[in-house]
Amino acid sequence: MNSMLSRRHMLALCCASLAALAAPVRAQSAPLRLAFIPQENPEKLLGDIKAITGWLSREIGVPVEGFVTIDHAAAVEALRNGDADISFMGALPFVLAEAQIGAVPLLSEIYRDAPTYTGRVFVRRDSGITTLADLRGRDIAFADPISESGYLYPLAEFERAGLIAGPAESEAFFGRVFFAGGYQQAMQAMAEGLVDAAGASQYADLLLAPGQQSQVTWIAESEPIPSHLVIARPGLDAEMQENFVNAMLRLNELEHRAMLRHLYGPDGYVPADAAAFDGVRALARRYGLLQ
Amino acid sequence: MRIKLLALVFGFGLGIGLLAGPAMATPARDTPWLPEAAAYRLTLFLGNLTPVPWDELGRAWEEPYRGSEYTQGALDWLAGQSSLPTEPLTAAIAREDRAAVFEAATRLVSARIDEELDAALAAESPAAAQQAVRTARELYRAIEDHLAAADPEAARALGRAWLELSSATGSTGVLGAGATEPDLNAMATARVVVSDYLAANYRVADFAPRTTLTAVPETIALSGRAVTLPATLPPGSDIFDQDPLPLLVLGFEEQGIDETDLPLIAYGDMLFDSPEIFSGPAREIGIACSTCHNRSDINQRFFIPGASHQPGAVDVDGAFFNPMFNDRRADPIDIPSLRGLRFTGPYGRDGRFASIRDFTRNVIVNEFAGAEPTPFMLDALVAYMTEFDFLPNAMLTGDGRLTEAAPEAAQRGAAIFNQPFDGLNGKSCASCHVPDGNFLDRQAHDIGSVTPAYEGSRGGALDTPTLLGTVYTAPYFHDGSMPTLAAVVNWFDTTKSLGLSESERADLTAYLETVGAADEPYEDFDTENTPFRLAFAELTTFASTLDTLLPRRDTQHILLLTDTVAADLAADAGTMANLVARPEIYSLAEHLAAVGAEVRADDWAAAEASWAAFQSEAQAIEERAF
Repeated sequence: MNSMLSRRHMLALCCASLAALAAPVRAQSAPLRLAFIPQENPEKLLGDIKAITGWLSREIGVPVEGFVTIDHAAAVEALRNGDADISFMGALPFVLAEAQIGAVPLLSEIYRDAPTYTGRVFVRRDSGITTLADLRGRDIAFADPISESGYLYPLAEFERAGLIAGPAESEAFFGRVFFAGGYQQAMQAMAEGLVDAAGASQYADLLLAPGQQSQVTWIAESEPIPSHLVIARPGLDAEMQENFVNAMLRLNELEHRAMLRHLYGPDGYVPADAAAFDGVRALARRYGLLQ
Repeated sequence: MRIKLLALVFGFGLGIGLLAGPAMATPARDTPWLPEAAAYRLTLFLGNLTPVPWDELGRAWEEPYRGSEYTQGALDWLAGQSSLPTEPLTAAIAREDRAAVFEAATRLVSARIDEELDAALAAESPAAAQQAVRTARELYRAIEDHLAAADPEAARALGRAWLELSSATGSTGVLGAGATEPDLNAMATARVVVSDYLAANYRVADFAPRTTLTAVPETIALSGRAVTLPATLPPGSDIFDQDPLPLLVLGFEEQGIDETDLPLIAYGDMLFDSPEIFSGPAREIGIACSTCHNRSDINQRFFIPGASHQPGAVDVDGAFFNPMFNDRRADPIDIPSLRGLRFTGPYGRDGRFASIRDFTRNVIVNEFAGAEPTPFMLDALVAYMTEFDFLPNAMLTGDGRLTEAAPEAAQRGAAIFNQPFDGLNGKSCASCHVPDGNFLDRQAHDIGSVTPAYEGSRGGALDTPTLLGTVYTAPYFHDGSMPTLAAVVNWFDTTKSLGLSESERADLTAYLETVGAADEPYEDFDTENTPFRLAFAELTTFASTLDTLLPRRDTQHILLLTDTVAADLAADAGTMANLVARPEIYSLAEHLAAVGAEVRADDWAAAEASWAAFQSEAQAIEERAF
């Protein structure tokens, strides 16, 4: 989400990334290739990739290369055809990639001591809205139609409350449903009074200015959503996989923690638990995203 | 004195958003700006300074703004991203025509928004359309706050139009699933709302003359209606506390005395952290004494374009903070540490104020445009600031001699430090930096570090600074022109012809680094001592002065306190690691705000009840949350 990437810029960046990523290595082996999906300014991502692949090369002892892909689909395609060995990915695209190419979950991101987070439905404190039912006929802004915490999970709370039977009925329940383009945009629209509610990540109120944060509250919270993860292509050499996972887990150690800011900013990593994604798989099926 | 740290975030860019309303000393991190939007905001900001810093304004378009995530300046960026001409703008900057710069820049940003909306409608995929709408929306941010302040109704209509636009772009789905097509009709309808307003207000043929450069819509500007704009800092500004945070050493605290038992000092502590004692932009954007003097020391990251020539420096008598006090000279100075303040007078870099009280009044009234402080406020501030002690240093005795813990090189350097040099008129370093006088002599000397302001000027004498704690206060000299203590030694060796060998310079530097060291220079945060806990303890300590002020029915000073602390307490809740406890902090802030409202209404019984409720809840939070 929130990519600032333009098509005109993409080609130049991909080429630049390859040129920028020559890192000193101790052993001459086939390189480990990491696919990164831009969440923000891709220029910054290139610098981050250079830093983290350099560090990983030294830790694992094989060359590590990184490159920017356009989106999740391109990353999965790169895993499928062997252009990438490893990719960073959201929970929903992972369960689809698992179904499509047999992608393997390796590591889950940790935020505030948990490998999960939630989606919430936020309202202004002075709105008088206290329940999901109060939102009947009112306007809501979600982040994006394929966002777990910014749409799918918060919307599922309306289903659970018996207010809608499925996503197709949401238009009938609400006044208007908007997709604002990101957590911050959805929250800002709610805080400014353009809409009555926002569906976004549990931490999305921190995206508001401090004075606004105290003016908003939340009225519903979703089930835990597995946080973003690191996945591997099927068939990646087991030893390479283990070495990579062990190196990444060393990022939890105090002396290496500063490197985490080059990796989408988690607090750390834990080994991924494939069963933890059952809820996402079920949701994806219910919403027609997974067969 | 409390702290202001970055709100903790969840790994994606968040939004220095500065809100209108009560002044708060807790800034929010700025969401990154697109290059041309950043350049436009810098143009408005710098264009309103007197005199206009034209070189800096030119650089605002040529170079990435400080801290930008883009490697290109706006002009280069536009050359690659846009087909719009930039010559009208660059020509206006070249001839230093303020009105023409405003008009060209405003038209350019407005046209860029339209250009991206055109691209969105012509896009061949939802992803490309979304990207173009997102870019257009980020460019709109350059005018959004001024538009909203001037024409709220239009801002709402445009806000809804942006929501319609982003919603109508469709979705690429995820890995082929859940894709939806763009709704081109809905997109076209919504873009008309945006584009028509821009055409009528930001891309007019002739703008009316403007005294102040703003992004207020032209139709509103022509109507003559008064518009109150939110004070903002331009892209590249940084008023966050430095990290690591300096350790505060307060004399009474080291002696085991509780600040809540020292109401005058606690009130001064609150004032040191209160933007409410200032007015104008400093108050509105939440600048307090502690913004520059973190925990009595310095703030190495403080930076405001047009007011700072480098991080950690500020021109307090420039055009931004108080036009009345504008000396029309670009002379920012490196922010000095206030450690050991009672020993470092006279005050000001050239020692222009003999008394800390006079210096403080000047800061409040002249530098930052505040109202005349009451005698109580000045007494409180002086009482608090004179508790600032130097950092303990096990390598130095109280009378400035090195202990056995000092390294050998420093012991050798001490001899050089005390050695008379011809180049110093027969004096030694120690003649001015007197070891048994906290390494200063309370006099001003012209050492040749100041470029004469005019031929024959004798204005180069500066107050001798202490050497204590200086390891952590780089850069050095009044203008921060020396990056390291080694550079300072080299400067003296060269300009004063001291004739030091390389090893002697190294030894002298080692001595300075030993004298300027500290046992614990920084606040040590951990899971127990968190930034929020520190802020919470400080804010509740400030509030404790109500125990003294309420019985005295001291309305003025109570309101100053409640206006400062209530807003800060609520804002600081966003920095809590324990997010679940945030509503409790909001409730606490509301009790304090209620004390203020009730005192305003002259209902003292209610105010005392609210204060009691605050104390009881604060006690419970202290026991439970920590």
